Amino acid sequence: MRNWFKVAAPLGDMSARVLVMCSFLIPLVLWCVVSYAPFLWERDYRLTIVSAPSDTQAFPATYLAGDVVSDDYFHDYQQAIRDDNAALAEMRESSAKDFGMSERSARSYNKKILRSFVPVAEENGWFNVRIKDQLSSKDYYREMYATMFRLWGQLDSGELQVADGTLSDENLQLIKTNYQLLNQVADNYDANKFLSEPMFQLVPQGRLKVARPVYIPAPDEVFNSAWADFTNQSELGDLQVASRYRSSISVVFSGFLLAALIGVPIALLAGTFTFLSKLIEPFVDFFRYMPAPAFSTVLIAVFGLAQAPKVALVVIGTLPHLILMVANTTRTVDRSLLDAAQTLGASRLQVIKDVVIPAILPSLYNDLRILLGWAWTWLVIAELIGMKSGLTEIIDTQGRRFQFDHVYPIIFLIGLTGFFVDQILSGVRVVFFPWIVDEKSGPIAQIVRLPARFVAWLTEGRLEPEINTKAI
Amino acid sequence: MKKIKTMVMGIAAVAMTTTLHAEPLKVGYSDWPGWVAWEIGVQKGWFKEAGVEVDFVWMDYVASMEAYGAGQLDAVCMTNGDALVTGATAKPSVAIVLNDYSNGNDILVGTKDIKDVKDLKGKKVALEEGFVPHLLTLKALEAHGMSESDIEIVNTPTDETPQVLKSGKVAAICAWQPNSGTALKEVAGSKVLFSSANAPGIIYDGLFVSPESLQKNRAEWLKVVKVWYQIVEYLKDEENHEESLDILAQRVGMKPDAYEPLLDGTFILSLEQALAAYQPGEGLSSVYGSSKISDDFNVKYKVYESAQDISKYFDASLTAELAK
Repeated sequence: MRNWFKVAAPLGDMSARVLVMCSFLIPLVLWCVVSYAPFLWERDYRLTIVSAPSDTQAFPATYLAGDVVSDDYFHDYQQAIRDDNAALAEMRESSAKDFGMSERSARSYNKKILRSFVPVAEENGWFNVRIKDQLSSKDYYREMYATMFRLWGQLDSGELQVADGTLSDENLQLIKTNYQLLNQVADNYDANKFLSEPMFQLVPQGRLKVARPVYIPAPDEVFNSAWADFTNQSELGDLQVASRYRSSISVVFSGFLLAALIGVPIALLAGTFTFLSKLIEPFVDFFRYMPAPAFSTVLIAVFGLAQAPKVALVVIGTLPHLILMVANTTRTVDRSLLDAAQTLGASRLQVIKDVVIPAILPSLYNDLRILLGWAWTWLVIAELIGMKSGLTEIIDTQGRRFQFDHVYPIIFLIGLTGFFVDQILSGVRVVFFPWIVDEKSGPIAQIVRLPARFVAWLTEGRLEPEINTKAI
Repeated sequence: MKKIKTMVMGIAAVAMTTTLHAEPLKVGYSDWPGWVAWEIGVQKGWFKEAGVEVDFVWMDYVASMEAYGAGQLDAVCMTNGDALVTGATAKPSVAIVLNDYSNGNDILVGTKDIKDVKDLKGKKVALEEGFVPHLLTLKALEAHGMSESDIEIVNTPTDETPQVLKSGKVAAICAWQPNSGTALKEVAGSKVLFSSANAPGIIYDGLFVSPESLQKNRAEWLKVVKVWYQIVEYLKDEENHEESLDILAQRVGMKPDAYEPLLDGTFILSLEQALAAYQPGEGLSSVYGSSKISDDFNVKYKVYESAQDISKYFDASLTAELAK
């Protein structure tokens, strides 16, 4: 224990590795505890059957299967439907038979009730909503209604039994009554011959679950949504994650490359000649405090609506830092090298080309790597300006609807991409600049270095590339 | 050096290809059922069938109006009130299509403790100032014998209102769907205090085209209007109900069942109904009467300085041509 907190003491290889793992594991474990620990939260109901109470004043929200409601609300919600059904039964008994809705609305109302049975049918393995991928929208709904109709018939005749806990006895009775009504009109589902007076709504059902705030979805929910979203099986339709991912990456990299192409030459000159440094850097220093997103409307007016204004925002956000950072790096070149070169008769161009650039190349590489990370931080803001695009569109739209299980996977994806790109670049650095002795080398750096080590081993029987002393 | 130059040009070219050959009509549309409905025409390829090239650009509502004002769009989907604001502050436009009027989608949502609009006295209400929800809230206050000074308005972007209501810092919010629906769903006990169903016609939604583009490409725009009524016919057919919900919900990333009430809160105007609404008149059944209310509101609350010439904002001639 005491050894853990020795000031600036190096750690053993093994313990360093364990700690690296822990730095990722601890947040994950915390997330699991917060999500699954029942003692932290109350209990809620996750709905499996939903209905729409007629009293829209008291029940204005539309719930879907899978939504979570509080204990109190759930019981009120059930009661509202029971009341509605009782009122409907009364209307049916009365001679007037005035249900207060048109035949067309009644058909649409009844179809909705058939649809509310889909989650139960799925749970019992009688129906798979995934067939929607293979069918046209029209065919799917025809198939779905026909299946629900048929299943109700089979439940009514006792041919089918529901699995425990998937359908209450109360609802089974309602289904039987409903089926009798449907059956009077047609034996099978037929859109043109469909019950035109309202039937009974199924009473909402749900399962108790640990109640969590919506912004803390459980890891398994996030993982399942991520899997569905990334493999085009999302309940929200095709989210096009892959093409959005490409679009986001292209924004970041085009912006970064453009900034580097503009910024590095300027910075080299400013770092080499004090005259240019004084002429350029003060303004750049001032400019970098101006919030880049504030320029978004201007950028739209200048660059239009597609990718261009987004790329431009990344450039604006990255360029000033790049110029200042690289100029500073350029100034770290050993003065004696510059003096020596000039004494030996090098021209200004030669000094820059043959002394300054080679000397700062490894640091420049490192600066750019850090600035690429900086470019990533502008991504989300950039993609929000003008036409919403890329991964941000998912984050933004789903976040506003509190669908955080769809939001977090995308955020993780961006984070992981940035992290791995950075790790790879920092690993490759040793391959490009073998004369730089890099003490910390993560596992990725080691993997990246493998080919070079392999070649070295083949040709020279050594395990590290030769240290190139001639380069400086 | 030359290499670098070609590289720079290459990157610049990649970044700008989409803006260079922008010849088709560019229309900005956003998250409102009456406008998302254009997606049906896009998905079914009806624009191509009609022989007109249109790019529908999916955007945030406010961003789409900004882009239109900046001259990046030939047309944009707006409400009549916001068209006046955009016209007075950035760029005028003319409605060649009246898609719908809001019939319950714009909602003043109150928290559990607020029984009715009267309870809002002295309380905070979050809404986007100068936009539709502001107008609707004032209408609600007026209907209950109150005025703006009775409440404290917290200026909030409409799409952030659900979070604001959930935070418990305000007594009510006013927003259009799907934001209002999200608020109702996520904030336990929240309820509808007032909605556009209480004042149908206060918000008309239309396709507003830039006058220059309309003059230059009238024939093309006529084809667009024609496709719109193809869409309306499709939407009104009972048989297409589920499929249209699928298309609309997919565009906005919602589940189709969740989208149903949103479509119900939008009164899609048939050709005849649109022509009737185009008739100048007082009151909310005419888009002129409705816009007059918005105009008065905008001048009164200094959204812009002087009253707008409303007749310049509406052109029924293309719709009328189709009716022949």
